[in-house]
Amino acid sequence: MNEIISVKQLSKSYGGLTAVQGLDLSVTQGTVFGLLGANGAGKSTTIECVLGTRKFDAGTVSILGMNPLLQRKQLFENVGVQFQEANYQDKVTVAELCEVTQSLYRNAADYGELLKQFDIAGKTKSMVKELSGGQRQKLFIVLALIPQPKVVFLDELTTGLDAKARREVWKILSDLKEKGLTIFLTSHFMDEVEALCDTICILKKGKAVFYGTVEEAIADSPYDKFEDAYLWYSDEEVSENENI
Amino acid sequence: MRTFKTMLKNEMKLSLRDMNMVIFAICIPLVVLIILGIIYGNKPASPGAAYTFLEQSFGALTTIAVCAGGVMGLPLVVSDYRSRKILKRFKVTPVSPAVILAVQVAIYTIYSVASLILLYIVSALFFGFHMGGSMIAFLGSYLLVMLSIFSIGMMVGGISPNSQTASVIASLLYFPMLIFSGATLPYEVMPSALQKVADILPLTQGIKLLKAASLGLPIENVFVPIIVMVVLAAICIGVSLRFFKWE
Repeated sequence: MNEIISVKQLSKSYGGLTAVQGLDLSVTQGTVFGLLGANGAGKSTTIECVLGTRKFDAGTVSILGMNPLLQRKQLFENVGVQFQEANYQDKVTVAELCEVTQSLYRNAADYGELLKQFDIAGKTKSMVKELSGGQRQKLFIVLALIPQPKVVFLDELTTGLDAKARREVWKILSDLKEKGLTIFLTSHFMDEVEALCDTICILKKGKAVFYGTVEEAIADSPYDKFEDAYLWYSDEEVSENENI
Repeated sequence: MRTFKTMLKNEMKLSLRDMNMVIFAICIPLVVLIILGIIYGNKPASPGAAYTFLEQSFGALTTIAVCAGGVMGLPLVVSDYRSRKILKRFKVTPVSPAVILAVQVAIYTIYSVASLILLYIVSALFFGFHMGGSMIAFLGSYLLVMLSIFSIGMMVGGISPNSQTASVIASLLYFPMLIFSGATLPYEVMPSALQKVADILPLTQGIKLLKAASLGLPIENVFVPIIVMVVLAAICIGVSLRFFKWE
């Protein structure tokens, strides 16, 4: 199995506050990896450190065998990213944003096709700021897929999408996974995690409190529903003894 | 190159939608030209001078657009993209800071050249303007002024931590240059103490070159302003690329 993302002993603190501590992650090709945890558990910090948009204090990170800081231009030909908050120019249209994104890559996909797949092809002339939250979320998933990436990072994948749209997005991502795409995501929806993720890591205060499959997470907990198990792992009151 | 062209096309559209630069780089210099033309008409610049007041001011007027774009437009757009985390999104793509900055420089070059052509046409048609010196020397000087002013803008835009800082620095650079370098207020009417202060500004040197070129006047030590402006540009461009901040 090909290791696509490798993180070893990643640590990052802000001032005296520890955001991530001694984190090890390994994601193999064609799998979906889910990074879970409550708000402030260190998910976004981890993604940003892995992508090189944030400096970390200790540890090593490699994506596709490359160092994101030293081999940025080469690496990001093959990596798609959707950040938690959508960032775009005030008066930019959907088509313009897609066209510019497409022009950044050597082997870009046809964005028209992707927009169609995500059911927002009718919006190409609209301003991005005038889209609904769900449409905008879909657009930024499209932007992450435009490079025809080998690995894609999706931070809070389906936040803002309605139930039907979420199912559609899951289906598209599952199909892409079948074709060999590796997916790294964060999510607050446990049904989504169950439907998509092969491996999960649950973070609590910057430390991994569980690492394995969804089934293992349930089996190792006193519960038989994943959402209950997740809350048990991430809940602060239940696991006081781990805070020492 | 494909990236550059696509980004240029789209950024130009966004800039035109915004209208700020159309006003500051295209309309304002034209308005100043027309006011000076109406007030001074074809009067000689000074009693017995071989050229008119307007001809003397032409070089300076053409730099208003360069300053508006280079010192206000460019750093504010780049730092706005930083605050909006658009640059952060670009960081996780293969695009280089050089391309991002080059696109903005190209946009403000287009505005500057458009303003230059417009000013030339209007002053030649309505105010009897005549380029007394060498057109090539004038264009060469103009290029040099763009180079040095845009490089300052690249540096401010490339490394300002946020748009507030960029905006303060831009204003500190823009307004003194606009007022004291002779771009709006003619250098010749300033008291000599003020002229000495104005001489420090790079734009003043640039305008002297433009003026000499457009009027066909001899200029002493032509290499001093050229070297000063080229060195300044090299330092600013180097700093903007080396210390470029994505976030």
